[in-house]
This record gives sequence, C-alpha cells and structure tokens, in this order.
Amino acid sequence: MGFLKNYIKTVYEAVSSLLKGMKRTGYYFTHHKEIITQSYPDNKDTMILPERFRGEVVMPHTDSNEHRCTGCTACELACPNGTIKIITKFEMTPEGKKKKALDTFVYHLELCTMCNLCIEACPTNAIKMAQNFEHSVYDRSQLTKTLNKEGSKLMEGVE
Amino acid sequence: MFSLEKISIGVQTALNNSLPAFWALMAQFAIVGVLVISLFAVLGLVLVFMERKVSAYMQIRLGPNRVGYKGTAQTLADTLKLLVKEGLIPDGADKFLFRLAPYVVMISAMLLMAPIPFSRNFQIWDINIGVLYISAISSMAVIGILMAGWSSNNKYSLLGAMRSGAQIVSYELSAGLSVLSIVILSGSLQLSEIIQSQENGWWLFKGHIPAVIAFVIFIIAVTAETNRAPFDLAEAESELTAGFHTEYSGMRFALFFLAEYANIFIVCAIGATLFLGGWMPFHVGSWSAFNQIMDYIPGSIWFFGKTFLLIFVIMWFRWTFPRLRIDQLLNLEWKYLLPIGLINLLLITVMAILGWHF
Amino acid sequence: MNMESIVFYMLAFLVLSGGIMAVTARKIFRSAIYLLFSLVGIAGLYFLLAYEFLAAVQVVVYVGGIVVLIIFSIFLTQAADSDLPKALRGRKVFSFLATAAGFALVLTQILRHNFIPSGSEPVSTNVTEIGLRMLSTGEGGYALPFEVVSVLLLAAMIGCIVIAIKKPGNS
Repeated sequence: MGFLKNYIKTVYEAVSSLLKGMKRTGYYFTHHKEIITQSYPDNKDTMILPERFRGEVVMPHTDSNEHRCTGCTACELACPNGTIKIITKFEMTPEGKKKKALDTFVYHLELCTMCNLCIEACPTNAIKMAQNFEHSVYDRSQLTKTLNKEGSKLMEGVE
Repeated sequence: MFSLEKISIGVQTALNNSLPAFWALMAQFAIVGVLVISLFAVLGLVLVFMERKVSAYMQIRLGPNRVGYKGTAQTLADTLKLLVKEGLIPDGADKFLFRLAPYVVMISAMLLMAPIPFSRNFQIWDINIGVLYISAISSMAVIGILMAGWSSNNKYSLLGAMRSGAQIVSYELSAGLSVLSIVILSGSLQLSEIIQSQENGWWLFKGHIPAVIAFVIFIIAVTAETNRAPFDLAEAESELTAGFHTEYSGMRFALFFLAEYANIFIVCAIGATLFLGGWMPFHVGSWSAFNQIMDYIPGSIWFFGKTFLLIFVIMWFRWTFPRLRIDQLLNLEWKYLLPIGLINLLLITVMAILGWHF
Repeated sequence: MNMESIVFYMLAFLVLSGGIMAVTARKIFRSAIYLLFSLVGIAGLYFLLAYEFLAAVQVVVYVGGIVVLIIFSIFLTQAADSDLPKALRGRKVFSFLATAAGFALVLTQILRHNFIPSGSEPVSTNVTEIGLRMLSTGEGGYALPFEVVSVLLLAAMIGCIVIAIKKPGNS
C-alpha cells in the first residue's frame, strides 16, 4: 500500500505544481497592462530608462568649463580592458611648483563593457555613467572619444 | 440563420443539376481540395500569429506589432520571405527522399482533415470508422519525419527524427486509450454519431471524473505527439539545433512548419469533437429552453471556438513548462499515463455497462 | 473504363512498382520506404473495396508499426549511407527462379478460378459485428485465436522485459 500512496502523492504533487505554473502565466496573460517592453523608438521622447542603466562614460563639466579630473590614472588602472588612456602634462602652479594635470582623457567606447569599475575607482568623482545608448556610427574611429573638453581645466580645490 | 450545411447542400444540387454525374463529382473533389488547402494556409497564418501573441502576453511582452494593423500581417510577411528563400539541399543528402519528406508529412495532415465534422452534416467523409482512421493516418506522419531526419545526412537531424519517432509511437498508446474511453461511452467509431451522442451534454461532463482524467491524458499525449514543448525533445534547439528539419530551408521548411500547426489544429479539433461535443452547442440534459437558446449560435462557431480554446491550452503549456529530459518523458508515459489510462478505461467500461453516466 | 478501374490500376501500379523497387533498391532505407508505398497501396485497395476497417488496420499495423520498426532497426544498426553489396550471380538466378515459380503458381490459381461477378452493392461490415465475432465462442467465432495471439504477445513482452532487466549487482 505504501507504494500506491506514494504514487498518488507524486501524481497529486506534480499536477498541483504544474497548475501553479499555469496560474502564474495565466495571470500574466490576463494582466497585459503590466507589459514592461518599451516600444522604442516610438516612445523616444517619453522613454524613461532605469536609474542604474549604464550607457557610456562621460566627464561632467561646469559652466565655466571646469572638470574634476586630476589625471591620477586610477581609472586607467582599474579598467579591465584598456578602454581608458590618460595623457598627462605638467602645469606650473602659481607657487612655481610643477604639478601633474590632465591633458587628454581618451575613452574607447568600442572596448568599453560598462562595468562601472572606473567610476568606482575615481577618487574625485570626475567621471560618471551617462544613459545615452544610441552609439552606432559608420566609422569605428568615431567611437574613440576625448572626454575632457577643449581648454577645460581642473576645478578649484580638487586635489 | 447562417449554416454551412445549407451552403454545401446548395452547391451540391447546383453541381448535380448543371453537370453530368462524373464531372459533378470531379468538381466537388476540386472544391474540397481548394477548401482544405486554403484552410491550411489560413490556419498557418492565424495559428503562428496567435502563438506569437500568446507567448508575448505570457512573457509580459508586446509581440509582433509592426506589419499591418497591430502586427496582423506579420505572418504573411514571414511566409513571403520563406517563399522567396532558396531551398538548399545538403551535400550527400538522399535528394529524392529529402524532397519527398515534407510532402509525406503534409499529405498525412491533409488526409486527417477528411473525417472532421466542422458543422452539422458538413464533413468531407463521414467514414464509419472515423476514430480508427484518424489514429491510422496520424501514424503515417512519423514516416515523413523519419525520412526527413535520415535523408538530411546530418547527425542532429537523425537524432531528432529518432527521438520524435520514439515519442510519437509511445504517446500514441495513451492518446489511443483515452480516445477509446469515449468510443466505449458513445458506442461508435463514427464521428458524427459520437457527436450525436452528446446531444444532452458533452462527454467531459456526462462521464464524471474518469472522462476528465481521459481528457487530461488525451491533451498531454497529443501535446507530445505534435512534438510541442514541453515535449519538444525532437527539435530541442539547445541540443539538436532544430531536430529533423535542421537542413530544411525555404518552402520545404515552411511545409514542415505548416504541417506542425495544422496537426495542432487537427488534434485539438478531434479533442473538441470527442470530449466537448464538436459542433454540438452546449446542452444541458432536459433544459429545452436553455438548449434552444444555445442552438441559435451556429455549429461552426461552436466547433471553432472549442478547437481554438484547446489550441490556447496547448500554447499555454508550451509557454509555461520547461522541456522534459528523455528519461522523464519515458517515465511519464510508461509509469504514469499508461497505467492510469488503463485503469481509467476499466472504470469507464464499468460505468458504461452499468449505465452510470448521464 | 470507369472511375473504379482507373483507381484500381493506379493502386496496382503503386503496389507492384513499390514492391519491385523495394527489392532492387541499393540503399536499405530506400527499400523500407518503397515497401511503405507498396503497403499504402494495398490499404488503398481495401478502401476501394469499401472495406474501411481492414484498410485502417493495414495502415495502423504495417505503416505505423512494422515499417517504423524496420526504419528504427535500420537507424540503429546500419551505416546509413553505404550501399548494399551486389547480390551474387547464383543467388540472383535462384531468387529469380523462386519468384517465377511463385508467380506461375498464383497465376494458374487465378486463371483456373471461376470468378462470379456479384453485381450487388459492396457489403459494409460494421465494427460492432467484427467485435462480436472476434469474441464469440460459437460457430465462426474467433475467441480462441484471439486469446492465443494475446498469450503470444504477452510472452513477447515478458521476453523483452527479461532481456532489458538489470541484473542485480550489475548496475
């Protein structure tokens, strides 16, 4: 009898677990107002991306064309696949001392995996992730970007 | 009131009056052929679209929504694509059998259309062994699949074909047993008589719990027989690329695809006919007023409604359950479905002899 | 020539050509498929005789059962794409003689038999009658052969299980 009891129990459990699954998909089927797919590009203007979506690395500049990058190359070292290349230069401070500063922040978008390690490594919060994702271009060389703007300089007080 | 019976009788008398008997018969053959082929074409378009929409909604997606009004022309566009694609034949394939296989599958699907009653007296061939005919012809499709798998000269195709063959042959047993239980209850193999026996209620309700069990076993077995998920081992994408139709492209692939959906329609139509009364409206015993109201809905609408309900259930399975492993598949058949089906058949026989059903 | 004889000759052609191709084909899988055509043609002949039950059983047993079994055993045993070896000359002669003798025997029997055209409508046997006859123990009943066949099948099944069973301690 033990065998028969087990058998019926197995069948009962199998059927009830299958029905549970069907209940879930049936719920989704009847509640299609909850659809999470965005009809891009129809909703291009109203589209809201999730807060943590990572599209590309950018360097914010203030209105007076100042950034926060000290050229410490911590991000370059943190990058796992050589996306970032920082070229530094030496500037004279008013006291007459030589000081290392950023010359060009080269960013290879085609190599970037949006892993966020560079942003975490940055001691001065100079770079951050932007949400722009329409990256397609006709020429690969256009994907190599310079993040610091022409003639920008380090913000006052950032060490 | 709209009725397919009147149309068919009208066409028949018109042909018989205007043509000699032989040519009238030929014209009827031609009309039936055109109707079956166009039904297949429409079914292919509708069912593929339905499947894509159902799957989308079950996965909280939108599904096809670009071509035509809300995406309804999507399958038409896909068909057009398949039509203009090149049909490749792989090197080392058995060319004759490779070309023949899709037609074998397709022809066996078309032959299955013959005994299905779409409405009262609207049936191509009311053969007196309808149910036996269906199980006979449906076993022919296996040959087409095996042929396709072997002639492709591809190990994945061969493996897929063998899995498919083993699966169809073993699940045919359970499907046959549950069909047999309805044959016992109604006392006939003829589909029109089986429907007539459900005049005072469908067998699903008249046959108590054993009929419900038989219905559940039937649905599971035909899902396996049509090689659909969760029983899609034959074409398991992750293991065998596409199973027996890996090497097929263009129109030949489209024929396999169409036959798959036509088979789904056919098995669901048979399930609806046996368990849910086919074109018979929803009748309850002796409530004649209620029955008359139900009769105002034409039989063809009842038939297609029930069939599409069952198709929806089978699609629901597909988009809910994960694929079975081969040992689980065989366990399910030989350890669960077959013994339960046999005991259930015994119960139904006792019930039919003692007259316990309504 | 009426419709019936046209259909008959078409089916006869299918049966005969299928049979001849089945024995002459160089590839074993093709032989199985030609055999299938031949068997389907025979089922068609039964349908032509309005004997639907036998036709359906022919398709179930031969097409759905035996040909599938043959194909499976080909899949599992044969190197799929190699041709069969050419038959020896002596064997060819012998099989030709055997076939010719069989053909002559059947032909003489057919020619000697006096066929009486019945002219009546074809009798349609319904399934109830077949079922009752199958299980009747009276005159012309088939209860005993039916049971003997079931015992035979049971023995075959037990044999299969004995072959397939795992020996204890040999997992």
